[in-house]
Amino acid sequence: MIWQFDIILLTLIVLCALFTISIKDLLGAAIMFGAYSFLMCLLWTEMGAVDVAFTEASVGAGVSTILFLAIVHRSTRRVKVRQRGRIFYKGLGLTASLMMGGLLFYASSDFPAWGDPLAPASNHVSPYYLLHTLADTAVPNVVTSVLADYRGFDTMFETSVILTAGLAVLIVLRLDGSRTGGPVRKMARPIAKGYEDTIIRFISRAMAPFLQLFALYVLAHGHHSPGGGFQGGVILGATFILLAISYDLQLVVQTFTEKTALILANIGLLIYSGTGALCLLLGHNFLDYAALAKIIPGATTVTARSDGIMMVEIGVALAVMSIIVIIYTNLVSDGTYEKGL
Amino acid sequence: MTALIARLLMVAGLFFFFATTIGILRFPDFYSRMHAAGKGDTLSSLLLLSGLALVNLAGAPLTFDNILVSLKIMAILVFIFLASPTATHAIIDAGYASGIEPWQKPGTSKEGDDDLAV
Amino acid sequence: MEALLIAKYNYWIYIIIMMIGLYAMLAKNNLVKKVIGMGIFQTGIIIFYVSVGAKKDGNIPIVEHATSGHQAINILDYTNPLPHVLMLTAIVVSVGTLGVALAIALRIYNRYQSLEEDEILEQIND
Repeated sequence: MIWQFDIILLTLIVLCALFTISIKDLLGAAIMFGAYSFLMCLLWTEMGAVDVAFTEASVGAGVSTILFLAIVHRSTRRVKVRQRGRIFYKGLGLTASLMMGGLLFYASSDFPAWGDPLAPASNHVSPYYLLHTLADTAVPNVVTSVLADYRGFDTMFETSVILTAGLAVLIVLRLDGSRTGGPVRKMARPIAKGYEDTIIRFISRAMAPFLQLFALYVLAHGHHSPGGGFQGGVILGATFILLAISYDLQLVVQTFTEKTALILANIGLLIYSGTGALCLLLGHNFLDYAALAKIIPGATTVTARSDGIMMVEIGVALAVMSIIVIIYTNLVSDGTYEKGL
Repeated sequence: MTALIARLLMVAGLFFFFATTIGILRFPDFYSRMHAAGKGDTLSSLLLLSGLALVNLAGAPLTFDNILVSLKIMAILVFIFLASPTATHAIIDAGYASGIEPWQKPGTSKEGDDDLAV
Repeated sequence: MEALLIAKYNYWIYIIIMMIGLYAMLAKNNLVKKVIGMGIFQTGIIIFYVSVGAKKDGNIPIVEHATSGHQAINILDYTNPLPHVLMLTAIVVSVGTLGVALAIALRIYNRYQSLEEDEILEQIND
């Protein structure tokens, strides 16, 4: 909450956003978008949102950048430059943005002052969460307990949204019947065939087990430090992407096949909803983890909630890891798994 | 005492970051810029993180929690030391494979670059 | 007026970031630039929500447990965790949406050999 830091970061963020949308090279735009995401992470950490910053650092700045690179690899890098034309669309866009921005500026006079501890957003439900999370769930990280226990339905449907996104990518890229245009089109920019480099391969191979160990650490320590299921799952998926980039796409696709990935993603969602159903079978409400005290030996209702949160975080991590791998391997190879990045 | 060493380390780290930025802006071609970026970034991150690990130990008494946090910062340090030079190597190799020519001082002849065509 | 200016400038910059994203989605020609604009818009909204929950001199929302005994937790010490939870969901959903948007852009490129919107519309209208 240091305002000088905020001013500098916000100026840099606005500059990065302006450069990202106006640069005439898609590869440069993807890298600048990664830089923009990292600056956003810094700003959120400075505002106290460490869980959000962790997720954005792994998901937004890590995986999003590599997805943009994958599509630039499969299509073209140039952005067409035109001297005139599209004035109508630019004028329309500018008018719409200015009108919307003007309305929002006018509405911002009603907002509470920034950083006000007595703002209405902090006064109704969230004091309950802050005061009762230790007594109810024995989990110090309030974000994890709210995410997986108090608002557990949201997270379950979010996991199903991730699963649907992975399935949508598969479906969109696999409609073989409507692939018009005859034979498979040659790649736009031929890359160096079979480019291998000992240093990169060795370091990736040496680092990957430690990265996965770190991802499991993040998953397990979600109760006490920033982390949890999403971040751990994304880092696990990112290790597979690292191996796919430094070696060959075929290596990852043959070890972590599409069938394995889909089965794991569904098992992840099954663990989440299965925990809820288990609580239902044991006599309580759906996703009321206190019911698990009946089957876990030596647990009170409070520690049973903590264990329930752990189980659903494992489910979320499995689902997120598999879907990130599916999205990447399909985007970078156009659904065919033949040649990668 | 520990706080003084920590502050010296962090100031040294900041100085190397500054030098890296000037190097990126002022060097004439891609290879020398990547040289400055890779080495300068790694060294300055290492110095800053060491300073942070010591700052953590300086204020509070030496409990197990504090030592654990400093050990975790050291683990990040090891990771950066492994990964950042590899990334620089990857970028420079990619640049060489795309055929970027190294900068020649204007006015010299071009006989001396046979050793690059290995 | 001065109080309005000093206390609210942060919101104005978030609104500027959101409008940059909206302008990129509407006015840019390239499909991938539109997707980047969508990403900028999404992160702008996330920063808006996170700043709504920020508190002056607030600590991160991890409640100390054993070290402080079970004394009363002062809620003014901790930043509001509820917007963080909502935004965690938003970030992960945004990466899913990004994957699907890029997959559709890739199919369009395979079919029309171009990522520029006007060239695609010309080919469709022929």
